[in-house]
Amino acid sequence: MKKIARRDKLKIYGDLLTVLCAESKEDKIVLTRVQVQIKVPFDRLKTYIRELDELGLIQDQTSLRLTEKGKQYLVEYENVLDFMKRMGIAYR
Amino acid sequence: MNPYDYQTFRIAYEVISAIICLVLVRFMIKPYQLTKESRYLGLPLGFGFLGATYALAAFIFYQPYFFGSTTIYLQLILRSFAFIFLVVTYYFSRQTADVGRKLWNTTLAILIIAFLTLFLPVIIPDIALPSYQLTSSFTRVFNLICIIYICAHTLRSHVEKPEPETIWIPFGYIFLAISQYLLIIFAVDESMAAWWSALGIRWVALAIFLIISCRSFYCFKRGD
Repeated sequence: MKKIARRDKLKIYGDLLTVLCAESKEDKIVLTRVQVQIKVPFDRLKTYIRELDELGLIQDQTSLRLTEKGKQYLVEYENVLDFMKRMGIAYR
Repeated sequence: MNPYDYQTFRIAYEVISAIICLVLVRFMIKPYQLTKESRYLGLPLGFGFLGATYALAAFIFYQPYFFGSTTIYLQLILRSFAFIFLVVTYYFSRQTADVGRKLWNTTLAILIIAFLTLFLPVIIPDIALPSYQLTSSFTRVFNLICIIYICAHTLRSHVEKPEPETIWIPFGYIFLAISQYLLIIFAVDESMAAWWSALGIRWVALAIFLIISCRSFYCFKRGD
């Protein structure tokens, strides 16, 4: 079985926001589909979603749509990751 | 070129190099600002030190006798530490977060102590320093080895996940390595062709870093 590299919270937040942003193009965001994509247990996924809500990065825990702050954070996160990739630096 | 023109040219050249490095520091600090991982601090420190050496070089050309002859040794130390910071950042980026963080903190402490240890003899008067020619040749070879390591690291990252945009940074470091190599050639046989080429190639390397950084943060991407 392929081992998944351990991620810190920031990477999980980033990955989760990326998935939520992609899924928000659908009518409804299905939590199990999000869980499969970011590969975390369901109870921890709920915790991360609550934390994202507390940070003001998502509108609420039911719609899971990104707020403006969440969108800005995601853009910055993707830019920095892209920059690190171009610089030949791994973020793990 | 008469000495006055050469002095003016070198001041302008070094000031522009320092400004490019200063702009690069603003980009290089972003991974640390986002992740708060101290192991990424080596990037801004490396380019910051590199910029400081260029600014110092400009000042030496402007006021050669202001700080005395020891300033040129300080420039050598700063430049070597710039490359050491970059090397350790690339080295620790391959470690996992926990291991990388602990090792980086220890390494940073050691590097600061080493820097101060090397810095003190330069600022304390009446201490006999080794010949500048010998020291500069040694440090340039050391810098070249550091850059070759970074080139190998960035090329390996590119080979592992080949993408068109990841090839440019290895090229940037390769140009920086060629520039250092040409400076060694100049130190050995005083070839002015090598000297001028080194200056030109350094700008090519810095321009690549600048363009890649700007493309990462300001370009329209992913069809958003």
